[in-house]
Amino acid sequence: MADRADFERDAMEFAPQLYSAALRMTRNPADAEDVVQETYLKAYRGYDSFQEGTNLKAWLYRILTNTYINKYRKAQRRPNEVELGELQDLYLYRRLGEQSGATESAERTALDMFVDDDIIEAIDALPENFRMPVIYADVEGFTYKEIAEILDIPIGTVMSRLHRGRKALQRRLWDLAVEHGLVEPEE
Amino acid sequence: MSGCEHAVEYVYQYLDEELTLTRRARISVHLRRCGACCDAFEFEKHLKAKIAAGGKSEPPPELFDHLRALLEQERTNEDSGS
Repeated sequence: MADRADFERDAMEFAPQLYSAALRMTRNPADAEDVVQETYLKAYRGYDSFQEGTNLKAWLYRILTNTYINKYRKAQRRPNEVELGELQDLYLYRRLGEQSGATESAERTALDMFVDDDIIEAIDALPENFRMPVIYADVEGFTYKEIAEILDIPIGTVMSRLHRGRKALQRRLWDLAVEHGLVEPEE
Repeated sequence: MSGCEHAVEYVYQYLDEELTLTRRARISVHLRRCGACCDAFEFEKHLKAKIAAGGKSEPPPELFDHLRALLEQERTNEDSGS
């Protein structure tokens, strides 16, 4: 059992990461701070029930996720369970490869054309049920098991959403490169 | 399934370090022999790192103060309530 008096000492260091994840979810700084504040309040109130020695970071992310869902899905009336079409494996790698011809490792060099804003735009464009696993795996570095616990979905669902979400993100990056005139659109 | 198909199918689980040792070893052996797959894996690894770096945003500097004030307020409410 954890002691509420220790909450600030134990939990405050995760605030910047939680804010970053909240911003990717809400896509709005004011909403992100609201979600983080509510998360810390709920976590403080429930800290007595947190098992000391277990994963505090994952516990906080679970509260953050539930807070976000309760706050924003209500407004949408129904869960945002969007499906994504099937895309080729290694989507971006193959598209860039078609551009660069046979030059070795040219695809990897081509990645340099993407700036941080492109990455954020591509993440933001993902439907929510794919965005969260991608944020938690690629940005926050959680394991599949941790993501399954945070999102309260089976591990197989985490893996399939991650797989399709990443491909969709690659597709969006490709589209951004086309929009910015950095690559030649294929015919 | 060819070695390349097998490797591509598990590329994310490989990079996420979520494979069993046997499967991981099988793919590592393939990568040492196949330049094309090795190149593709390197690409995905770089992209993953780029997403990790680009997807992070800094919080507003006053976030910590706001959270501490919020918890302080909560403690005051608790004290007066009990």
